[in-house]
Amino acid sequence: MSEEATTVRRLGRVERLPTRRIVLTALSLGVGAAVAYGSYRTLTLPAGARYSGSAWRDFLVLGIAQGAVYALIALGYTLVYGILRMINFAHGEVFMAGAFGSFFFADAWKESGFLDRRPLLAVLLLVLIAMAVSVTVAVLLERIAYRPLRGAPRLVPLITAIGASLFLQNTFRGLFGAQTRGYPKPRVLEGTWSILGIPVQRVQVIVLVVAGVALIALTLVVARTKTGKAMRAAAQDQEIASLMGIDVDRVIVTTFVVGGMLAGIAGVLFALTFGNISYFMGFAPGITAFTAAVLGGIGSIAGAAVGGLIIGVLQSVGPALLLTGIHVPSPFQLKDVVTFLILILVLLFRPGGILGTGEAEKV
Amino acid sequence: MSRLLEVSGVVKRFGGLAALDGLELHVEEGEIVSVIGPNGAGKSTLFNVVTGLYPPDEGDVRFDGRSIVGLRPHQITKLGIARTFQTVHLFANMTVLENAMVGQHCRTRSGVFGAIVRPPSTRREEERIREVARRSLAFFGPRLAGYRQEQPAFVLSYANRRRLEIARALATEPRLILLDEPTAGMNPRETLEMRDHIVRMRDELGLTVVVIEHDMRVVKGVSDRVIACDYGRVIAQGTYEAVAHDPQVIEAYLGRRAVG
Amino acid sequence: MRGALRPGARAGLVGGAVLVYLALVGMLVKFEELRLVGSQVTRGRLLLVLPPFAASFFAVRPRVIGGRVEQPGPGVALALGAVAGALVGAVGSVGLALVEAIGVERIRPVFVAVSPALVETLTFGRGAAAGAAILVVGGAALGAAGGIWRAIRHGLRRPVEVGLLTVVTLAMLQRIVPFMLDELRLERDWLYSRATRGLTWTGAVVVLVVATAAAAYVLDRRERRALAPAAEGRPEVRGWRRTALVTIAVVLAAALPQLAGSIVSEIMGTVGVFLLLALGLNIVTGYAGMLHLGFSAFFLIGAYAVALLTGANLVTAFGLVAPRFSADLNFYLALVLVVAIGAAVGALVAAPVLRLRGDYLAIVTLAFAQIAVILATSSWLQPITGGPQGLRDVTKAPLLGLEFRSAERFYYLVLAFCVLAVFVSWRLAWSRVGRAWNAMREDEQVADAMGVPTGRYKMLGFAIGGAIGALGGALFAVKVGTVQPGSFEIIQSITVLAVVILGGLGSVPGVVLGALVLLALPGLLSQLEEFRFLIYGAVLVAIMILRPQGLIPNVRRMRELREEERTQDAWQQIFAARQEREAAEEAAEAAP
Repeated sequence: MSEEATTVRRLGRVERLPTRRIVLTALSLGVGAAVAYGSYRTLTLPAGARYSGSAWRDFLVLGIAQGAVYALIALGYTLVYGILRMINFAHGEVFMAGAFGSFFFADAWKESGFLDRRPLLAVLLLVLIAMAVSVTVAVLLERIAYRPLRGAPRLVPLITAIGASLFLQNTFRGLFGAQTRGYPKPRVLEGTWSILGIPVQRVQVIVLVVAGVALIALTLVVARTKTGKAMRAAAQDQEIASLMGIDVDRVIVTTFVVGGMLAGIAGVLFALTFGNISYFMGFAPGITAFTAAVLGGIGSIAGAAVGGLIIGVLQSVGPALLLTGIHVPSPFQLKDVVTFLILILVLLFRPGGILGTGEAEKV
Repeated sequence: MSRLLEVSGVVKRFGGLAALDGLELHVEEGEIVSVIGPNGAGKSTLFNVVTGLYPPDEGDVRFDGRSIVGLRPHQITKLGIARTFQTVHLFANMTVLENAMVGQHCRTRSGVFGAIVRPPSTRREEERIREVARRSLAFFGPRLAGYRQEQPAFVLSYANRRRLEIARALATEPRLILLDEPTAGMNPRETLEMRDHIVRMRDELGLTVVVIEHDMRVVKGVSDRVIACDYGRVIAQGTYEAVAHDPQVIEAYLGRRAVG
Repeated sequence: MRGALRPGARAGLVGGAVLVYLALVGMLVKFEELRLVGSQVTRGRLLLVLPPFAASFFAVRPRVIGGRVEQPGPGVALALGAVAGALVGAVGSVGLALVEAIGVERIRPVFVAVSPALVETLTFGRGAAAGAAILVVGGAALGAAGGIWRAIRHGLRRPVEVGLLTVVTLAMLQRIVPFMLDELRLERDWLYSRATRGLTWTGAVVVLVVATAAAAYVLDRRERRALAPAAEGRPEVRGWRRTALVTIAVVLAAALPQLAGSIVSEIMGTVGVFLLLALGLNIVTGYAGMLHLGFSAFFLIGAYAVALLTGANLVTAFGLVAPRFSADLNFYLALVLVVAIGAAVGALVAAPVLRLRGDYLAIVTLAFAQIAVILATSSWLQPITGGPQGLRDVTKAPLLGLEFRSAERFYYLVLAFCVLAVFVSWRLAWSRVGRAWNAMREDEQVADAMGVPTGRYKMLGFAIGGAIGALGGALFAVKVGTVQPGSFEIIQSITVLAVVILGGLGSVPGVVLGALVLLALPGLLSQLEEFRFLIYGAVLVAIMILRPQGLIPNVRRMRELREEERTQDAWQQIFAARQEREAAEEAAEAAP
């Protein structure tokens, strides 16, 4: 064309620099250095100011226990993402619903003494109730908010999910009040049990056992049953799956049911561990669990479990290890910062996660 | 003549599959080159590697004597390579004219300050963008003229979408244009029209053209040189006659057909 | 016949569930207090009327049967509507009966909204049996009305709906409008009753008639124009009408404090701050197409930056202290810096994560915002940020001897910046930059291949959005005079998102309207505050499902989303058809 002569077809030297790689390398070096420095300073503190070995052990056990809870919630994110490719932002509220639903029974049974008389049965019933409530919420959520949006651009269901999350939070606030409530615990579960010579909080033992059983059950269901096969097929390709005679809608509902069940279990375990509940309790664990799912590789069941445990441990050990040495006061205020930083770093460096299929990296 | 584009030893793997397996080819300035080959021969992958959408695993791509491996697509466009896509990718909700105006982006500079204050320089530039966009649309005569320019792109007919995509590429004022199956889905008359347009791109606009094409009438009508690919490699090149009678090429097509 | 009434039954049960929900979540009772028209129509009763009416309206919707749209005839509509409405009432009655059986005092510890007042509202103060009867019979009547309503021609229905909406709005604005009328020295007693504070019956009827007539006229004209061939030329060229509208809007906005007094100025000042945020978010999300869930971070940064730059004080156990780092700049100089800081933070924080896909990017923005809040609250940064107590004594933005803390003055300050931000948004939209964003939003890869440096333009979007957001934060700090981390929680980000989504992504007038509806209304309508976030959540869900283009769609997006609507309609038709089929199968099984 006539402007040939004026048209610039060169790139400046700066433009040719691989900016992204430089930024990422600098960032990873910076993070690595900060982690190394912080841990070094913490571990070389003078004996009086240092955490003892048993303190670290307690951090670790707490981390594993809360990690197991995160894993259960993370599975809900991962299962739904696997099939719908959507971040179910309201899943934290599904978890909250379970905890809240069981609370009233727990409270009444504490009063009547049932909780202390038959602790095992009571906790089992509480878990079942929480599962029922969470499943109800999850299924309603799918039916009302998500189903009309199948096939919509990716961000649309995410926005809907955020709206649903806010709606559910405030619904529970309106229904049951805004105050934080103490979640009763059977008396048997106070104190510690000695496991392999290590004293472990009894609640944490229960948490680990229940979470472990649930994880194994889920793995078996997905690997062995026909429903599980249908779920895996739909996760691969919904269209083809439906051509093969799989009712995709039903599979999706099943997925929400399974996610809801796990979230319900997690709700009771979380409430037992931390001892109180509120309508807002779903947010932080929800995001943390989502991080766990991404860290493990979203869409992968084993990934969610591994990611949950790692995040749990990092949350309980990380702030103390990294920040005490550089004299940051009350490092545990910053535990969510640790989570969020991990989320950002994982997405930057390995968006497919540890055990991911790499799907996330596809454009 | 000088070598405008030089692809040497390019390998691109997807999983275990090598879509390009040590591909070697070059394009002279002012040439019209057709790339043919059966489906899955790696033709579109070649375009994607040249335009920076995929980084090659091995090998080098040189444009006008300089390596362009590792550059981002927009940088490569700025250097003067424009392209169309096998499946039409327009900005469906922007108007036809706006689509073409986007093509001028890499040739203009005004930024946020210009947008807000609108000094005379920005106004002039905006006029120029509009002018170049209109001119590239006018390349297709009355097809994309008049009221159509204010319509959103998604209302266009299939053939017009293809034309608009090419017009958008022309609006980037390229030296080399890569056309990925420009006549796919067109009727015979439109196909012949497109054949003439491809020749005009060289003769009137002075462009170098590389075209992936399945319609042999088009290939025969436009090509200075034909390059046949299969399994990510060049299996034959030369005049249309020579390539069409090359036994390897015949086998690549007929052998597949016998199986399929 | 059983099959024919099925949609009515379904809608009735859903409506009943909604009624129970409204009761349990506490809305019915809270809303009861406000009288709208005369002493009979209260807001609570209006809310009570809605479920049966809406249920039947929905039950009688046109259906696609065998590829044809079929609208039930008036007789069927009446029957269906009545069934739906009666069922809504019946569900309510069952709920009432349960409450009576168990006892209010025993339910209350669980469902906090169940109270004698609720029972009173639901039974209209006439005891359980009579109340249940009223619910069922009234429900049926309302349902029948709803069914008939649907059967009325659209051109007739629409204006009346507008009329009713006008009446309700005027009635709800009973704290504001009478005051304005007084201020204008207009007679008001015919319209607003001094006893109930709501509208008088005469006033309501007059308003209804006038508004309906006006709406009929406007809608009719618009329809005719829509049928006429479209005018050519760019929207910008046809913009003189818009210029006139904008001028009128600005003049009205400028006159508002004089007309409406300081309560309104106070509320509108806050609305203005959030409008700035929404305009910033609109650039990131509406123009550049990146969902940002942590926009409150810019709000926080702006507020803290202006506080620290203009010499605010920390609250500590030993009284007020200067923070570890602070300057004592003039507010307007500081403002320039704050805007620059907002832009820089926006761009830098975004830089490494730009390649992420949209939904991941959104979550990362959320993570950043949370980090900002946690850090601002932490004991670690307490010497700078003041921790949970924050900073006090923020500047009053003195300019030529004027201070901007009073509601009216602040309103003008924020109005000026809003007008500026609107102007900037508009200019950007119709520029090379706006075009590049638009292309990127449509198809990032192709935009890149066509020469748009997408990474740079994403950063640019974040930077400009961040600058406007930080400006909002700075003004907020001036307004409140203190800066506390609690004001910048994630909920603020979602509020702003709801504003932009409701108004219409990428549409500046839409964003303004969204801010007025979601932020000004709850402030102006009493007792809505408590349900504000509940409503925001519902709005987000409802808009995404029913009207993803928002109230005032962006010119370009309108086209895009119409397409989406079409596909969505197709989906809904498929679902409807399937439900029909299932119903038929069930019916076949039931009658062998």
